[in-house]
Amino acid sequence: MSALRNPWGKPRGLALVTWLYVAWSIVPVLLAIRFAFNQGRSRTEMQGWSLRWFWQDPVLSVFHDPTLLSALRQSLVLAALAMLIAVPLGTALALGLQRWRGPASGPVNVLMLLPLVTPELVFAVGMFLLFTTAFSFIGLGTPAQVIGHVTFSVSFVVLIVRGRLATIGPDVEEAAADLGAPPHEIVRRILLPLLAPAIAASLLIVFALSIDDFVVAQYLASGADTTTVPMRIYAQARGAPTPALNALATIMLAVTLLTLALAYFVLRAVNRGARKGAALEQLATLDTGSPIR
Amino acid sequence: MSRGEIRLEGLAKAFGGVVAVDAIDQHIPGGEFFTMLGPSGCGKTTTLRLIAGFERPDAGAIRLDGVDLSGTPPHKRPVNTVFQSYALFPHMSVRENVAFGLRYQKATRAEADRRTGEAMAMVRLDGLEERRPGQLSGGQQQRVALARALVLEPPVLLLDEPLGALDARLRVDLQVELKRIQEALGITFVYVTHDQDEALTMSDRVAVMRAGRIEQCGEPQSIYEEPATAFVANFLGSSNLIPATVSADGDGCRLALGAFSLRAAHGEVASGDALAMIRPERVRLGAHGEPGENRLPGMVEEVVYLGFHRELRVRLATGALVKANEPNDGSVAEYHQGDPVSVHLPADCLRVLAADGTVTA
Repeated sequence: MSALRNPWGKPRGLALVTWLYVAWSIVPVLLAIRFAFNQGRSRTEMQGWSLRWFWQDPVLSVFHDPTLLSALRQSLVLAALAMLIAVPLGTALALGLQRWRGPASGPVNVLMLLPLVTPELVFAVGMFLLFTTAFSFIGLGTPAQVIGHVTFSVSFVVLIVRGRLATIGPDVEEAAADLGAPPHEIVRRILLPLLAPAIAASLLIVFALSIDDFVVAQYLASGADTTTVPMRIYAQARGAPTPALNALATIMLAVTLLTLALAYFVLRAVNRGARKGAALEQLATLDTGSPIR
Repeated sequence: MSRGEIRLEGLAKAFGGVVAVDAIDQHIPGGEFFTMLGPSGCGKTTTLRLIAGFERPDAGAIRLDGVDLSGTPPHKRPVNTVFQSYALFPHMSVRENVAFGLRYQKATRAEADRRTGEAMAMVRLDGLEERRPGQLSGGQQQRVALARALVLEPPVLLLDEPLGALDARLRVDLQVELKRIQEALGITFVYVTHDQDEALTMSDRVAVMRAGRIEQCGEPQSIYEEPATAFVANFLGSSNLIPATVSADGDGCRLALGAFSLRAAHGEVASGDALAMIRPERVRLGAHGEPGENRLPGMVEEVVYLGFHRELRVRLATGALVKANEPNDGSVAEYHQGDPVSVHLPADCLRVLAADGTVTA
């Protein structure tokens, strides 16, 4: 109210709402992490601190339970492959779409964005039918999961890279051509360096999308060895959950935060000479939500 | 034959049915400072982009020293461009920007270093080699863009409003410098601008463009002194364009302006409706009732102080408004608002131009 009466005063009401929201969203995560370090078997009652559920327990800890370890491995493999395929593919698509001036370019632009709004379940069911019928030679399993993740994350890459292309503008490309650079040299010496922040952000986003995905991975899985972390957590939460699940989630969170930090430093290195805080702003504008829900 | 001779032959370009360049024929001899001047949308930038190769012509040829370039992609054309936005590469240092094109000329390392150094010295960029474009002022960025193009020693340099983004003082300095560089190198400059001062100051020849065509082309002085159309007279400098009726006469041209009669030394129109054109600095004001040829009664409607001169807006008895400039030479202002005056339009400063619906007096 004070803000209303005094327009020059600090917006205390807004600050309060902001902090309440931050607390509301972060407390469950902190609680989950707390129980990862629980000494006892309970996930609701605090019983001292230990690393038992990470590796000390010879049977039930993440590093000794083969199902948890395999889930972790599968999640990281899927995320890595999705990144390696979706980002170069999406960057190439963005460059192509940016240049393409034709009657079909409009509809294609809209189609490119469809995966962003398609319900994940619809997409997953469609993929499932595709790999069990038309593309049965691929079948279900890791390749299908990778293709699924690449398919829905390519749109994000295209969106991010095209946004950056729009700010770069056609002038520098024309200037490079004018100075004698053939098309492939323009891509290598001008566009790729200038797109580096967008490419770094795309890698991060694809990683987060893949790690986070439950529905597509679930539908396209072929058995125990293609179970990902979200699938494992979902399956075990109903059975006999131990704090090892919290430990697993904590590891995933740590990996994601590390990726974020890495992306930040890459962006900062790329933005050398630009004003301070630019890297953080770019990350903030590109993040589509918290990587682990 | 000097290098850098350009011939545009029937050059035409339309964008989605809108004609941007309408069958232009133009010869630009090597080593000329040639300016295309016109309002936005007149096709001057499109013509430049056609020469650079960023656009493909619908018809016509672009000959550089006799060779048609219209089918050659931009990176294989021996012409270089200075962009209005400079289009510097933000991730490269000034030195890397300037040296960018040398890689494609197969220059040795030592030669590239020497030429880069020379180009930067020519545009006075010494000491800024390791800076990034983002750390430079607008004028410095403009110099980098110039050095980056000049280092390749092109026979023709294309400049697209290169001074448009700079403040007025800097613009004047760089005009002088551009002219110096062009004369020192002896290469052809094709310069696009909408700024008449730039066009008059630097150019060997100016082409005034309108609606995709060249309306008039000539030396700055002849274009300014002898505009062929009302559009040129109005676009280049300030003009009085007074509607009148022409009746041909042996000695020059006789004009009827209401009940008054005028004599003009130069005429483009034989008879009928026309525009009498005179520059404000050529209009003389005298005491009301002064006798003599080409004198019209009027009343000072407004006096505008413009620093280096005063502009007097005089309403003639016929209803037309005439602007007259009085130099600010320290003398006391002779006429004030409301004063009756005699407006003298000297016959040899008066030109008769075709009436053209787009320009009003």
